[in-house]
Amino acid sequence: MQAKEEGGQPARPEARRGEPASDALLKTLTIPGKLTTSAATRDGTKRREVEARLDITRARETRSNRDAGFGRLSLGDIMTMKKLIGGLVFAAVLVTGSFAAQAQKAGGTFVFLVQPEPPSLASYLSTSGPIGLVAPKIYEGLLDYDTDLNPVPALAESFEVSEDGKTVTFKLQKGVTWHDGKPFTSADVQFTVMEVLSKVHPRGPNSFREVTAIETPDEHTAVFKLANPAPYMLRALSAYESPMVPKHLLEGQDPRNADLANNPVGTGPFKFVEWKKGQYVRLDKNENYWKEGLPYLDRVVGRFIPDASTRTAAMENGEVHYGAYGAIPNVDVVRLREMDHIGVTTDGYAMINPVSLIEFDTTRPPFDKPEVRQAISMALDRQFLIDNIWFGYGKPATSALSTNFAATGLYAEGMPNYPAKADVAAAKKILDDAGVAPDADGVRASAVLDLIPYGEDWRRAGEYMKQALGDIGIKVELRYEDVPTWLKRIYADYDFRMNVNYFYQLPDPVLGVHRHYGTDQIRQGTHFVNSSRYSNPKLDSLLAAGATEADATKRGAIYKDIQSILAEDLPVVNLFEMQFLTVYNKKLKDHETSALGAYGSFERAWLDE
Amino acid sequence: MTRENLAHFWRLYRRNYSAVAGLAILAAIIALAATAHFFFPDDPFKLAGRPMSPPATGGFLLGSDSLGRDVAAGIAHGAKTSLLIGLVATLVAVGFGALMGGLAGYYGGWIDDLLMRTTEMFQTIPSFVFAILLVAIMKPSIESIVIAIAVVSWPAVARLVRGEFLSLRNREFVQACHTLGMSDLRIMLGEILPNCLSPIIVTGSLMVATAILIESGLSFLGLGDPNIMSWGFLIGAGRTVLRSAWWVCTFPGLAILITVLAINLVGEGFNDALNPRLRERR
Repeated sequence: MQAKEEGGQPARPEARRGEPASDALLKTLTIPGKLTTSAATRDGTKRREVEARLDITRARETRSNRDAGFGRLSLGDIMTMKKLIGGLVFAAVLVTGSFAAQAQKAGGTFVFLVQPEPPSLASYLSTSGPIGLVAPKIYEGLLDYDTDLNPVPALAESFEVSEDGKTVTFKLQKGVTWHDGKPFTSADVQFTVMEVLSKVHPRGPNSFREVTAIETPDEHTAVFKLANPAPYMLRALSAYESPMVPKHLLEGQDPRNADLANNPVGTGPFKFVEWKKGQYVRLDKNENYWKEGLPYLDRVVGRFIPDASTRTAAMENGEVHYGAYGAIPNVDVVRLREMDHIGVTTDGYAMINPVSLIEFDTTRPPFDKPEVRQAISMALDRQFLIDNIWFGYGKPATSALSTNFAATGLYAEGMPNYPAKADVAAAKKILDDAGVAPDADGVRASAVLDLIPYGEDWRRAGEYMKQALGDIGIKVELRYEDVPTWLKRIYADYDFRMNVNYFYQLPDPVLGVHRHYGTDQIRQGTHFVNSSRYSNPKLDSLLAAGATEADATKRGAIYKDIQSILAEDLPVVNLFEMQFLTVYNKKLKDHETSALGAYGSFERAWLDE
Repeated sequence: MTRENLAHFWRLYRRNYSAVAGLAILAAIIALAATAHFFFPDDPFKLAGRPMSPPATGGFLLGSDSLGRDVAAGIAHGAKTSLLIGLVATLVAVGFGALMGGLAGYYGGWIDDLLMRTTEMFQTIPSFVFAILLVAIMKPSIESIVIAIAVVSWPAVARLVRGEFLSLRNREFVQACHTLGMSDLRIMLGEILPNCLSPIIVTGSLMVATAILIESGLSFLGLGDPNIMSWGFLIGAGRTVLRSAWWVCTFPGLAILITVLAINLVGEGFNDALNPRLRERR
């Protein structure tokens, strides 16, 4: 399995839609979460104390109002208040706790696997997986997210959401400079969001769809003006999703052709030094990094090793310290995890939220009938796939949304047509009732199944599905192609019937799920959007409502309706929630400090050698 | 070939004991392929039981693979595919190679130059890499694999046939035919070709072995036809679990080894029996 390349083509800005939430709570929150760090050297080791100071003020509301208001929190509230408070307190405890427990050692070269080699380092142009492994160590976002997905300060030291949810004010860190020495200011934020991310980023036009303007009253303040409340935007501000790029190096050129793609200049903890094509990319410690005493590592090297067994051997003998996103195949992980010096974790993918699935062409037979798609969902043994092909790493899908959305109340339980084990009799009955009868050879329908060309696991899955669908009379022929041909077939030519794929659902459905189902997401030529060409006006209006609804309970109800419709119509059949594996050498410490996992900055990672 | 000729051929052939053994093994493999449907009536892709069962457990003679498919059934059904691909690809390659070589050798001159430069162009490309390229371009299917193997195999035949035609075209019997007014086509097909059949048969039989190896190699790299069971497919599917389920790769690998060995022995036997220079050596 390889890290997936998402969104090869820049997307057009979306049409704005949705109603302002009329009953949004009156709120203005100022939540400056300040990380004050002081580093002291003692006996050659650095100790670090972190003090998180929380200051919460709530204008125009009395204390009792606030307490009473907790019961009917809007999503915006949850994002900005509950989680920030809880999150920052939690983060502070976690951070101080872990720092107190173990003294960090500075220095050392951290070597990790980047698989496959990225096409460029332009994370503002592409969300391709391998770019995500390298670029967030160079660029930073306005916010970062702790392991519970709560926002924590990054380039923005605090933010404030206005009472109507239509103005978000970011206070930026002071004294931040780009790697070339120029200061980082609010003008960079304005330029990045308005001129780069909203225009050429694959998911940016969606994340920032409501942003009409960004005002910069001073160098350290950026005010986002929104057409409608966009609570999901605050989840899309990480270094991976929305990297801040230097205006002075991109202004006046087409960002798609700028030299910055291969010579990145960011504000992050590591500076780009060299990229030896086919071998490695080298980043060195940013001595002027604005977080005092950080990073600990002297050097970060991302190595490109195309052969899976060579990667495993390199991990086994300590040549590399870290491999994520399936860089080490599951079959080898099962062996490596028994070793004393190797650790394995499924953490660090919550922001990514990957789900494997089958996309159907809903415009042509045989998959224009929802019953046929339901029968397929019923006939596939999701647990079999997980147990035998992914070695137990995964969770059967139970709805259009991943169970990871249960935390935000958006996931709905008990959807039909999503059994964990196959129910062949029920699948056949659905087909019989729908009048899809078998011919003399027992064949009810036949179709080619395209498979995502990301490695052996997917082939095995295809071979399984061919058998399982054969059992209910759907004759399947398998087709493997190379990545560009496959992408063109599915997303540009629509020359397919059913396609095995996986999508990142991301931390909010608006960011990762809507693109699958909305009529406005039928965008021929854009990768990883609505290739099923499913169009349902009722669903469209629910999606629009879900995007702008600020009240958490109401939003949950909307998404329950959405999931009910999708469980019946199934333009896309979800297979299972994937669990990517991160394999690391236990010498490496504190690499899981961010929700972004491998897509994080590694500023606090250190080597115990 | 008359009955006496055949008897004479067999007398010469059986002097080489290893060739006889090879023939016996090959006959057994062909029998296995022919009776696959009898012994393993189910689809070899069928998920027949518990995945990764070791040999001789769970009703699997040779174990099951990572999806619970019967390895023994795969080998039996795969034998058909592998032999068929080897045979068809070789026939295509020999046919095309003989045509090119025959024309070049018979006519000489610019035709020879043109055809031989073309042949050399194909020969300069490493054959397996070329086969990978062709299959990748055409999309993996049984037809594209046969075409790819034929395309990389024909130049050797062409060079061989050209050499034979060159040496035979000035012999007295050919000149006599010219004098009798026979057409070029008749001379080529009726007179020269039968006289250079022996080396073609020997080369062809060895090419079948090479073709099976190329097909297995392509399948191993994931370029096989995903809808048809072959030995290479079994090995490719089992490669990733080699350290935990050795039997998935090992048995099809042995099948390939034995088959290729048997075909080589048979080819060697043909060479001994058909090559007049070697005929009386023993």
